[in-house]
Amino acid sequence: MTSLTPSFCKKAALITAAAVALSPIGAWAQTTTDKTSSSSTASAKPDRWLHVRVISTDGKGETVRVNVPLELAEKVLPAINHDRLHDGKVKIDCAHVNDVDLRALAEAIRNSKDGEYVTVQGNDNDVRVAKQSNYLIVHVLDKGKSKKQQVEIKVPMKVVDALFSAGKDELDLVAALHALSAQGDTELVSVKDEENTVRVWLDSKNVTE
Amino acid sequence: MLFLAKAALGLGGTIVLAGAYTFHEGVIRVDVDESRAGGSHVHMWVPAAAVPMALHIVPKRHFMYTSEHGRDFVPLAYAIVKELKKFPDAELIEVDDGTQHVRIRTHEGKLQIDETEPGQDVHLLIPLSTLEDVTSQLEANAPSA
Repeated sequence: MTSLTPSFCKKAALITAAAVALSPIGAWAQTTTDKTSSSSTASAKPDRWLHVRVISTDGKGETVRVNVPLELAEKVLPAINHDRLHDGKVKIDCAHVNDVDLRALAEAIRNSKDGEYVTVQGNDNDVRVAKQSNYLIVHVLDKGKSKKQQVEIKVPMKVVDALFSAGKDELDLVAALHALSAQGDTELVSVKDEENTVRVWLDSKNVTE
Repeated sequence: MLFLAKAALGLGGTIVLAGAYTFHEGVIRVDVDESRAGGSHVHMWVPAAAVPMALHIVPKRHFMYTSEHGRDFVPLAYAIVKELKKFPDAELIEVDDGTQHVRIRTHEGKLQIDETEPGQDVHLLIPLSTLEDVTSQLEANAPSA
C-alpha cells in the first residue's frame, strides 16, 4: 500500500486540480471580473437614479418609494409600445393643446433671457412660470377652500429641448431622459398638500433618503 | 483496493461537479405562508440552472402561446431584466400602506419580491440570469408580427 501512495496521490491531485478548474470558482472569478470592470466603468460615470416618493398622511399613511436608474428607463422605454407611447415617444393630440405649437413655445423660451413669463395671482390659484439659470420653473399654488396644494416643477432647459426634439406631434421621452442623465443632482417635481407629499428628484444614490 | 479508491474518487468528483453546476446560478426560492386556519405553507427551493434546462424540453407550442399572450409584456420584461443586471443592488419599489407592504429589490444578482399583509406572506427570490434566460427564450419564440 505504501508503494502505491505516490501514484495515487498524483492521480488524486490531478483529478482535484481538474475539478477545481472546472468548478464554479471559474465562473465566480469571471463574474467578479465582470463586476470589477462594470464598477470601474461606473466609477468613470456614476449611475444617475430617478427617485419618486409619495407620502400620504391620510388614513393608513401610505408610502410609495420608487428608485429607477435613468439608464434603465432609457433602455426600457423603447420596448413599451402601448396606446400613445411608441419607441420612447409619446404622440400628442393637437386637439388637447388647443393648437398651441409646443415646439415653437419651447424654442421661444430657450432663446429668451431669464425672467418671469407668466404670473397669475387669483383668488383660487397663483401661477408662476419662469426661466432661471437654464431651468424652466413652474410654481402653482392652489388656494382651494378645502385643500391647499402647492406644485413646484423645475426642469433643465436642455431636457425641455430634448423633449420637443422629435416630430411636431411627439414628445421624445428617451431623449429627455438622456438629457436628464447629464444633469447634476436636482429636484424636479414637488407637490404638497395637506394630505400628500410627492417628490421626484435625481441623484447618484441608489437608495431613497 | 486501488480500483475502489479510483471509482470512489471519480464518483465523488462527478457528484461535486454536478452539484456545483446545478447550483452555480443560485436557487429560486418561493415562500408562501398563509397564517389563517388551514392556510397553505409553500417553501420551495429550485436550482436556477434547472429552469433553462427544463425550458429546452418544453414543447414549442407552449412557448408560442405564452409569447403571444405576453406580446407586450415579454420584450419589456426582457429589457428590464437585462438592464437590471448592470446595476448595483437597489430598492426599486417599496409600497407601504400600513397593513400591506410590498418591496421589490435587487440583491446579489437576484430579484427579490416580498409582500406581507395580514394573514399572508409571500417571498420570491429569483436570479436575474434565470429571468433573462426565460424572457429571452420567450421572446425568441414569439410569433413574428
